[in-house]
Amino acid sequence: MIAQQIINAVSLGGVYALLALGLAIVFSIVGLINFAHGELMTLTGYALLAALIAGVPFPAAVLLAVICAAIAAVAMERIAFRPMRGASVTSLLLTSFAVSGLLKVIFQNGVSARPQAVAIPGWMTGAFSFGDFTIGVGPTISIAVSILALIALEFFLRRTVTGTAMRAAAEDFDVVRLMGIPANRIIATAFLLSGLLAGLAAMLWVASRASVDPLMGFTPVLKAFIAAVVGGLGSLPGAVAGGFLLGVIEVLLQAMLPAALAPYRDAIVLSGVIAVLLIRPQGLIPAVRVQRS
Amino acid sequence: MRHIRNRSALFAAISAISVATAAPALAEEIIIIGAASAQTGGLAPYDQPALAGLRMAIDDLNAKGGLAGKYKVNLIIKDTRSDTAQTATVTQELIDAGAKIMITPCDADPSISAGQLTQPLGIPSLTLCGSAPVLTQAVGDVMFGTYPADNLQATAVADFAISEGKRKVFLLTSPDATYVANLPEYFGKVFEKKGGKIVGRGTFTMNQPDFSAEITNIKGLAEQPDLIMTAAYEPDFPAFIQQLRGAGITIPVYGADAIGTPTIKALGKLVDGVVYTAAGYPEAGSKLEAFNAAFTKYAGHAPESTYEVNGYEIGLILDQAVKIAGSDDPKAIRDAIANLKDFEGITGKITYAGTDRMPIRPVVLMRYDGGEAKYVETVVPAAADVPAP
Repeated sequence: MIAQQIINAVSLGGVYALLALGLAIVFSIVGLINFAHGELMTLTGYALLAALIAGVPFPAAVLLAVICAAIAAVAMERIAFRPMRGASVTSLLLTSFAVSGLLKVIFQNGVSARPQAVAIPGWMTGAFSFGDFTIGVGPTISIAVSILALIALEFFLRRTVTGTAMRAAAEDFDVVRLMGIPANRIIATAFLLSGLLAGLAAMLWVASRASVDPLMGFTPVLKAFIAAVVGGLGSLPGAVAGGFLLGVIEVLLQAMLPAALAPYRDAIVLSGVIAVLLIRPQGLIPAVRVQRS
Repeated sequence: MRHIRNRSALFAAISAISVATAAPALAEEIIIIGAASAQTGGLAPYDQPALAGLRMAIDDLNAKGGLAGKYKVNLIIKDTRSDTAQTATVTQELIDAGAKIMITPCDADPSISAGQLTQPLGIPSLTLCGSAPVLTQAVGDVMFGTYPADNLQATAVADFAISEGKRKVFLLTSPDATYVANLPEYFGKVFEKKGGKIVGRGTFTMNQPDFSAEITNIKGLAEQPDLIMTAAYEPDFPAFIQQLRGAGITIPVYGADAIGTPTIKALGKLVDGVVYTAAGYPEAGSKLEAFNAAFTKYAGHAPESTYEVNGYEIGLILDQAVKIAGSDDPKAIRDAIANLKDFEGITGKITYAGTDRMPIRPVVLMRYDGGEAKYVETVVPAAADVPAP
């Protein structure tokens, strides 16, 4: 039972970590909390659905959908956020809310307000026995994808010139530009990465929910925001730690809380968040340089 | 000079227009029906089909001269965005616009918030498909349900489960909405009374991403259930059943009317064996079959569920009530609805007399099988079996 719940917690935490990382990468470079990150997930879900309806085989459809998310993220930066560059944190935040609201309405009116069922292949709903307990294929894939994505990102940031430039930009963007690295490229790459992470997270999200709906991006982006704040805004290791912590707390509370207290689950989780922030106001693993307006 | 001439020309034009519009208004009477319904958000998939049915009814009735052949209906629709506070705002706007009858969303909470405003004014208010039996009591004598109530539906499903030999149930509820919180509990009451046993309970937060902890708890129950009863709907129901089956649990899951939708049907094999309820079933030669054909012609697509016909029946109920009332006085209309008995709708007989304004009407049991919705049976549960709200 306990082992099973730990797997559940890691699986959910992994998805939260991917989401929080997507927010953190963009924040570390441009100081923007992109609340339209959730709509990137929704878009990915619809892209997957469209590809499946068009008869694209499942693995190719997943690939297409994730690429779609990355392109959409870059487009979002080009269209909505680049004209706002240098604006205050508040203006950027409001811009991201506007983009989010606009996309939701487009999904509702353009597709349907009703959730659309996504046919997840049968093998993904299966489970295999492992000693005493059964592990679902879904959670296994979820954990594997999260870990692989984290390793790949770490590799990109440590071993490539662009990656190094991005890490440097997170600490001091002006100096990086003085070194001759174009700002547009760094920012576009940050959005591209956040789009890829949103796409991957969306695939895991949709696979465990079997439907996409216009409002599905709201909950994940909220969780990602909490995770990123707990971890330390703008800190990538912090986002990962925050994501896993949030996943573990949520699953454990769901599993252990007596029925009478169950309705207060979210309140307890958020109280925990406040407690963490009281002890460590900059988050679990603070960013090297926190950007403030 | 030029300025003044223009202004007098404008004035002349305005008076011409107002004369033109005022003339027919004298010839016929207009009754305003306000519809506070969700065009966006989580309730939209339920409100919209129901509203489409109602609009068709209004169009049909207006073609025959309006309610009772006399009062042309002006249906004003406003979007609540599935938000309880916004529902109150648009309800007030509709009241200000002169609504004499109010139509409220498919859920108890926004309907109650609308009812708080219509109750003091005595405006009869009908929920599109809200089915929580507490809904009418929470507001007062102007509030009417139209869809089979939760306790009625739950009794039908519980009777069926017992007749199948099911004896141990796990109830999955959420405190976030009246429907999701109470319907499984009504089921539990009937189930226990008829010899069944509740072996466990679980809760979830609506829109929660992950059900794995709850599912692991079900797996760990000392006494395994032979049935899981829930009133979860979209997007929680697909998520729950996807993760339940993904964890290798094959226990059947039963629900109620909110999972009778194209989205759930499109889940295919995943929902094989899921039993749910509906307000009617289009048997060959039935009135409902004829309605479905007419609706398809009207809307350009077939009805998604029985919410459409339920919406249409709201129009018929209002027509009948205005006939009996003989006027467009809201209080007289309210009294007429409250005293309806064995009114022939499209799905069967509808009775309000002697109830708490939640109608007594037939409940249809349906089952998903191989991506199709299959008819099981139509029942009218015995009144004595239906648990009190």
